[in-house]
Amino acid sequence: MKKLINSMWGYWLLLLVISLGIAAAIYEIWLRGRI
Amino acid sequence: MFEFLIAGVEVPYLLLVMVGITVGMVGGFIGVGGGYMVTPALIVFGFPGYMASGIDMTHIAGKGVVSSIRHREMGNIDWTLALTMIAGTMLGVELGVRTLVYFKHLGISSVVLLITSVAIMLFLFIYTQMETRRAHKKMEKMAQEGKKVGREVQTSNLPILFQKIPLAPIVRCRNARVIISMWVIVLVGAVTGFLAGFLGVGGGFIRVPALVYVVGASTHIAVGTDLVEIAVSGGYGALRHSIEGNVDIVAVLFMIAGAMFGAQFGSIATAYVRGPAIRYILSYSLILATFGAVLRLVYVLSGQNIELLSLAAVMLTLGEMIFLCLFILSLVFFATRYRAGKWVPDWVKTLVV
Repeated sequence: MKKLINSMWGYWLLLLVISLGIAAAIYEIWLRGRI
Repeated sequence: MFEFLIAGVEVPYLLLVMVGITVGMVGGFIGVGGGYMVTPALIVFGFPGYMASGIDMTHIAGKGVVSSIRHREMGNIDWTLALTMIAGTMLGVELGVRTLVYFKHLGISSVVLLITSVAIMLFLFIYTQMETRRAHKKMEKMAQEGKKVGREVQTSNLPILFQKIPLAPIVRCRNARVIISMWVIVLVGAVTGFLAGFLGVGGGFIRVPALVYVVGASTHIAVGTDLVEIAVSGGYGALRHSIEGNVDIVAVLFMIAGAMFGAQFGSIATAYVRGPAIRYILSYSLILATFGAVLRLVYVLSGQNIELLSLAAVMLTLGEMIFLCLFILSLVFFATRYRAGKWVPDWVKTLVV
């Protein structure tokens, strides 16, 4: 994990995955079937 | 759940507050209104398109004022630059809107508009990303050689060329530490305003790179100065949309409630980083907005509602806001750790102060 964070692109990718995960959670909790 | 009577939709109000916080934070940090994130998000939540634009513009005006006040306190606004540019921006926006109307009369479709916006955003992303990477490497080299790294490092030669134009009157922008022909500033305002008016966006993502790479202002000054432009143009847009009945004031209030915190935090966060860090976030926001425009382009070209495409649009709209916020928050977190002498990734060391 430390190696991943130590690379800028690795960190970029990690944040992107976390962000998409949170977006998916928001979609499942609040938005599914309503948009 | 909250029923917004003017817009006629039911949306969880916490979602609007969250959008306000995230877009406020990003806007305060990179100096954009964030319309390219908010309008699609509101449409995703069920607001009609015209209402989404009105709510977005009104909340941008409020957020612009909050961010401008905070940036003013931090000395990030150059009023000479801001006021000179506003004149050019207003002229440019009017010309852009008129050109758009003219092209629509000629029968040019929204596909052309989308392709133009994709091309511009992609170009700005590539230029900003390449220049920022060069600046980042230069800073790392300076740090390795034991030299003092300043708050701003910029490697583009364009500002030197533009500052040499001997067209009177020459103005001195004290805060930006730039001496330049007034006409260059007006022209930058007019060109960026034209593009903003033509593409139907606020234009912060075009103006901030223009202020850095053409005028030669530091990134912090570009961000603060552009937020003044955003407060003015957002205020005018809010007035126009309110008269047209495109604003659900309750939705705006929820968003501004979030934006108050987000914009303050985003503005204060600029004090923890060097100029290239802001430009990195700006370039990431540009590429994510480009993906959004490409998705809309695919949607328009396919002419049908594909479920996978809708899901991708939702994920991208929410994901990009969360991604940019997490990046800003983590930079502040790393800066705090760095100040305390704790471990931070190597690439962060020259980006934070």
